[in-house]
Amino acid sequence: MSTFIERILGKEAGSVATIMADYVVINDGISNAAVDEISAVGNQEKVWVIHDHDVPTGSTEAAGILRKNLEFATRNGCHYVQAQGVGYQYMLNDIIKPGEIIIGGGTHGSIFGAKKALGINVSIPELARIAETGRYSVIVPETVSVTLTGNLQESVSVMDAAMDFLTKASDVKGKVIEFGCPSLDDHQKAVLCSMACMTGAYAAVIVEEQSEQAVVLDLTNVKPMIMMPCASRSEQDQAKIAEKSVLEGTELQAGQIGGYTGGTIEELRTAAGLIKDKKLARGFRLSICPATSKDYIQAMEEGIITKFIDYGAQIQAPGDHSVVTQGAGAMGHNEKLLTTGLYTFAGAMGCEDAEVYTASVNSVIAASYTKLI
Amino acid sequence: MDKKFSGKIWKFGNDIDTDTIIPGRRGTIPTIEEMKQYAFELLKPEFGSTVQAGDILVAGTNFGCGSSREQAATVLSANGVRCIIAKSFARIFFRNAFNSGILLLQCDGIQDVCDGGDIVTVDIDAKTVSVNGKTFPVGEVPENLFNIVANGGLIEDTKKRIAEGIKKLEITPLTDKERRKSGYTLVEKILKNNAGKHHVEPGDIVITKPDMFMVHDIYTTYLLDTMKKIGADKIDDPDKVTIVWDHCMPTAVAKNDYDHYHAGLELAKLYGIKKLHIGEGICHSIMHEKKYARPGEVATATDSHTTTYGGAGNFCSGIGTAEMAAALITGELWFKVPSAIKIVLNGHLKEGVLSKDIILKILGDIKADGGQYKSLEFTGTAAHEMSMMARFTMANMALEAGAKCGLFEADEKTAEYYGMSLSEIDWVRMDDDAKYEKVLTYNVDELEPQLSCPQGVDNVHPIHEILGTKIDEVYLGSCTNGSLEDLAIAAKMMEGKKVAYGLRFIVCPATNKVFKDAIEAGYIRTFIEAGGVVVHPCCGLCCGMPYGLMTDDERILSTANRNFIGRQGTKKTLSYLSSPAVAAATAIAGVVTDPRTMIN
Repeated sequence: MSTFIERILGKEAGSVATIMADYVVINDGISNAAVDEISAVGNQEKVWVIHDHDVPTGSTEAAGILRKNLEFATRNGCHYVQAQGVGYQYMLNDIIKPGEIIIGGGTHGSIFGAKKALGINVSIPELARIAETGRYSVIVPETVSVTLTGNLQESVSVMDAAMDFLTKASDVKGKVIEFGCPSLDDHQKAVLCSMACMTGAYAAVIVEEQSEQAVVLDLTNVKPMIMMPCASRSEQDQAKIAEKSVLEGTELQAGQIGGYTGGTIEELRTAAGLIKDKKLARGFRLSICPATSKDYIQAMEEGIITKFIDYGAQIQAPGDHSVVTQGAGAMGHNEKLLTTGLYTFAGAMGCEDAEVYTASVNSVIAASYTKLI
Repeated sequence: MDKKFSGKIWKFGNDIDTDTIIPGRRGTIPTIEEMKQYAFELLKPEFGSTVQAGDILVAGTNFGCGSSREQAATVLSANGVRCIIAKSFARIFFRNAFNSGILLLQCDGIQDVCDGGDIVTVDIDAKTVSVNGKTFPVGEVPENLFNIVANGGLIEDTKKRIAEGIKKLEITPLTDKERRKSGYTLVEKILKNNAGKHHVEPGDIVITKPDMFMVHDIYTTYLLDTMKKIGADKIDDPDKVTIVWDHCMPTAVAKNDYDHYHAGLELAKLYGIKKLHIGEGICHSIMHEKKYARPGEVATATDSHTTTYGGAGNFCSGIGTAEMAAALITGELWFKVPSAIKIVLNGHLKEGVLSKDIILKILGDIKADGGQYKSLEFTGTAAHEMSMMARFTMANMALEAGAKCGLFEADEKTAEYYGMSLSEIDWVRMDDDAKYEKVLTYNVDELEPQLSCPQGVDNVHPIHEILGTKIDEVYLGSCTNGSLEDLAIAAKMMEGKKVAYGLRFIVCPATNKVFKDAIEAGYIRTFIEAGGVVVHPCCGLCCGMPYGLMTDDERILSTANRNFIGRQGTKKTLSYLSSPAVAAATAIAGVVTDPRTMIN
């Protein structure tokens, strides 16, 4: 039986495959560096330039990056997208179709596996080269199968399951993970796939049929998890993950719910349900960042945004606010933040000595009325 | 310090600016004691070494103009200067000097009969100054203000008052008949009513008891520090105080904002302040939305755009941190009664032309200093036809002409907004026999949309001169134009349309209430579907916070109130100010566009 990656790349594992990418995505986060290296775009229809990180711009330097990206897109006739929210989520919902190949310069491109498309993360020079030629070559990776059985307990989220998986995954570096997870919904599948690559896996995908050798993980046993601060961006994949209970009682100053892990309509509904009859703790700042403009509009229509406003939360513009050096939600000296964002390195959310912890929406909301983990 | 005293004169001419008093390059000398020898070093190099305690300065007009450098007052105070007599004083210097322990007396005439080295005698009770056998009248100096000077400045005075047990200033409220007495400008009426005075005139100093104090988060850290220095363990009336977290909330500048956030919470806790608005919107909009600043009353805050509530006939003006500390402790605040300019707005505003266009037009005409320490008072058909929000817009920007306040008369609309009966507030109106320094008359029928252009609020041009200028970002928000009404104007123009390719359109509702109402009305949806981004109510980009900062040579058009160099980006970012209608039309077209062409 051939694997997903073998079918989509058209070659057997271990052999060299060369394909044409369907999408090359450049944003104002990390991948804008590729713009400096691209002389001319090969196929303008396939290159998408997205403004989704520093929304609205938090510094004059960020504005310079936007200018550069906009001029690049205009000059080459590429797609230019802004004010739609997190690029991954926007592409996943509105653009990508099963079987397509999306190449970007980030870390969580595996999210597209939730739609049976292939999301690949490459280095900046390689991203630039692919934008110029459209061509991508790779030795087709091995595949490992993981089956998630059972159901998540109430107040345990798919983020906890994904973090739990990260602590248990072994021997997946450079490989493709095929997840069988019949009990998860589409949104949960997206979170699982996106976070799966934090193991160093090449890509992840949701499948219906599983190999018999699949590793089995029982969702029933998953406990609320937390990802600890780490020293630098390059060490993010080594950030310690533990059961949340080990930090129980730690005082926090702020919480953030956003991105595709916390800002989708599904997660916003969960959060809105959890604040009912609760009061935001004095001294706790809560940011709500809808993932996309569609999520924002849907949440408004359902009255959810108004509930958050009344709760005392700050509603941010749709976008990827998981790294904010200057802008709404930035943290001060020695403050502690609990976020659904996936970056906990020093300085990710403001001051170098601010500590950032990652947890689920349930955990962030619980903290918002207790001020404690 | 005696009520009657004499001193040797140092004589100066007109327009002595703060740089002449103490050069900017001396401003970084760490202590005032070391700095004081350089006072007037370029104009009168001998001053620093020969000035004696008790010497008196006599000058012409506009003494202390230029930058707001507080050291200009403190170095004179440190040199023992206790009194300055001039034809007029610059606004900021005036307050700084008194609060540093220097008595300022306004007098026109003495300059012609004296020289440096002559002896002048000041008699506070007699309200005169005499020199060389000639006597001239000066304004009244109230007891409390005299004490501030006598005690060596505001902070020392406040400490002394705390030590002695603060004696409350007794004010006998005016009867309704007394406050309705004719012959006064709006500012005179309101100040006189609050201070319990039967008569005031421009130049008089009155001690008011403000009805509401507002502190916003920029100043929470400094205020907390000053309160601790003074050693205050309580304030006069916590119920008259509100703290608003709006400049630094959401916390956005990592190493600073959190400090302001926590300092505000500490102030609230220490002094029992309960009216707290944390991340609920812009302070000035909240002040009228929550009805904290009311018609005919006096409000003050630590911000320059405090003039906003003048739209409801509330006397309101910004003060510094030390003054706020002292005022919170004593419940009192002195003001010099400003002279007033009456601005008559005849005719009717046409569709697509808004109150913002009128105030920009006025600013362009009278320039940034045209209202220096004056009360701009608006009346006429168009003024009364304006909604409350439109009035707040104009009062907000009166400050940009240097005005002390911008006031509208209280009418049916004011009464309705505040849920009051008109008879309670209709004394807040201009008297036909009031003495105005100047009357400006505008016919708004023919007014076209106006833009304040780079780089100065008073560089105003009618829109036809700017049409077609490419714009990179449009900002709809601020305490000037972030109301529901403003959002409605823009949303109706943008419904079903898209913002221009590559243009960033940022919307910041003024308050949480505006935000929620705009969601309810579908405006927020319209903005997002058009390709805009909406940020949480706050001061945002208007005060240069990171909500859409720009790079070199980019152009921003904003509905805010200031386009100073570098405020919304780099020194080379070009900022334009306009009405929400111009903003919406421009966001769609990508170039400066006359909204009237889109409405019709």
